[in-house]
Amino acid sequence: MNQGQTDYAALAAATYLPATAKIVEIREMTARERYYRLELPQPLGHRPGQFAMVSVLGVGEAPISISCGPRDDNQLEMVIRNVGRLTRVIHGLKEGDTLGIRGPYGSGFDLDHFYGKDVVFIAGGLGLVPLRSLIIPVMAEPSRFGAVTLVSGCRNPAEELFREDLKQWSQVPGATVIRLVDATENMPWKFDVGLVIDPLPKLPLDPVKTVVAMCGPPVMYKFVLMTLQAKNLGPEQIFVDLERRMKCGVGKCGHCQMNHLYCCQDGPVFQLSRIGALKEALR
Amino acid sequence: MSDFLASLTQVQQWISSLAARYTVFFPTPHGEANYRFTAIGADDDVRFAPYRPTITPPVKLLVPAREELFRFQHKEDGDLLLSPSVDSSFRVIAGVRPCDLKGIFLMDLFFERGVADPYYLARRENTAIIGYACTTPCTDRVFCAAVDSLDHRQGADLFLTPLASGEILVEANTERGIGLLDSTDLPPCEDGPARKIGAIAARPETYGRSFDADVQSLSGIVEQYWDSPLWDKHTERCFSCGTCNLVCPTCYCFDVRDNLALDTVSGSRTRTWDGCMLPGFAQVAGGHNFRPQPAGRQRHRVKRKFEYLPTKYGHGPVCVGCGRCGRQCTVDIDIYDIVHDLIEGGKS
Repeated sequence: MNQGQTDYAALAAATYLPATAKIVEIREMTARERYYRLELPQPLGHRPGQFAMVSVLGVGEAPISISCGPRDDNQLEMVIRNVGRLTRVIHGLKEGDTLGIRGPYGSGFDLDHFYGKDVVFIAGGLGLVPLRSLIIPVMAEPSRFGAVTLVSGCRNPAEELFREDLKQWSQVPGATVIRLVDATENMPWKFDVGLVIDPLPKLPLDPVKTVVAMCGPPVMYKFVLMTLQAKNLGPEQIFVDLERRMKCGVGKCGHCQMNHLYCCQDGPVFQLSRIGALKEALR
Repeated sequence: MSDFLASLTQVQQWISSLAARYTVFFPTPHGEANYRFTAIGADDDVRFAPYRPTITPPVKLLVPAREELFRFQHKEDGDLLLSPSVDSSFRVIAGVRPCDLKGIFLMDLFFERGVADPYYLARRENTAIIGYACTTPCTDRVFCAAVDSLDHRQGADLFLTPLASGEILVEANTERGIGLLDSTDLPPCEDGPARKIGAIAARPETYGRSFDADVQSLSGIVEQYWDSPLWDKHTERCFSCGTCNLVCPTCYCFDVRDNLALDTVSGSRTRTWDGCMLPGFAQVAGGHNFRPQPAGRQRHRVKRKFEYLPTKYGHGPVCVGCGRCGRQCTVDIDIYDIVHDLIEGGKS
């Protein structure tokens, strides 16, 4: 081993110490989800589909998807669901308060896979949050892509996220936005009712030039993938963004392992051809 | 680098003398039948007793059960102080058996490769290791020869081999190892390699439990099993207590927790051992569990040791055959039996 060569304290600081991010905007999105715009000491420099470890010192740390497209400034957008001890504390914070941020981590989406292609986004529930980091750059330059279709589904109208964005994206030339709820549950809703899988068979997908990016709950993948395969889309044309428990983000803590891959480093975005045969990936 | 000859008494006295200068960990009796790596004093009686593997392996001195990553303090002026807690204190671990040495060697790979882990590497760089060869199986549980760890030597600064003559061959493999010998006046040994071969030849022909398969073939055999009743068979009694993870020389998965001091403005972030056999290991926020059944967790543990990590790191099984997990399992589930059954099942 190299002796006395490395400043381990500096390495520890670079690896595990969070940067301090200021919460500059909070928006209530649903009963459980809030939108957060953060200001970092310096740009994070993330790719679409990457995530960051978010923490409140003294409470804990968790992986959270980055929801904005790549950007040069030091702003960062996230949506955080109040679902555990840490996120409950985060929901109690106000604008002007701070969070710890480490990252960005993970593979992310590579826009080069999407340029010149018909792009289909399939988002189930919170899956829209990370996918938005890819949808934004695609919708910003529609001329660089073919037909763009976004299928976004959630449980009921009250749980729909990013309504303004969905409305705006539906007006982008060449873009189609399909909004669904599993059930209206007696709430007003002027879009479709059904599962995200329902509109897929009728979509005119060109098996040669279509690329799919999808993110949703584990139960969604099996049926959506069966439908896409029936439309002759190959596993190299499909990208999935997966969720796992993570404690470090750097491939050490072991929690996110699926078969031999680490979701935090090999993923969380995977080309289906890389994980289609793995028993633990899509379940 | 250099070989020396010593009597057993000389070696034991020399290790005691090291304890006067450094923190020295040595396998020390604990209760009636167990041993632990314990920091010894210069006056302690150091004996290379034929001991069962220590309750936890020595590598756990490098990945402690609870380890501080950094401290934080919110100052009154609004500033936040963050300071990483890297432990670079020097220590010696003496009396490390080949299986445990292999465990440390593998752990070096896990923490060096990819994103380097500063905490492990700082501790490892400042740890001198004195290995000790095994000449007879320490318990009837071991299968070190079957997984190629019985003759592991890499990673030891000094390695001690008991010879048939009663003497100890002292091999110094690093400058640091030679430095540890500076207080001794041991005669050099010119024919060290030949004496080592003699010591190996004097071992029992069948050393501990063996597999009816080459060590190189184990990964391929384990890879063939996914939906198999064998996983259920070997978890029927499992309490999912995680003891097998805690005592394993190659388990290093961890949880990360925060600790807030009573002043509510300072505290620390620590990592603590976690185990893939524990029910919540792969559970995400909201409750979805990616490995809800004990059989799936057992499969993951076995595949990680015999398939995933061996493929990733290329140094053979990531099980060193020490037998700790089986011996300390409350209900006698033994990874040897599982792999043995997988090998047998593949034949039919």
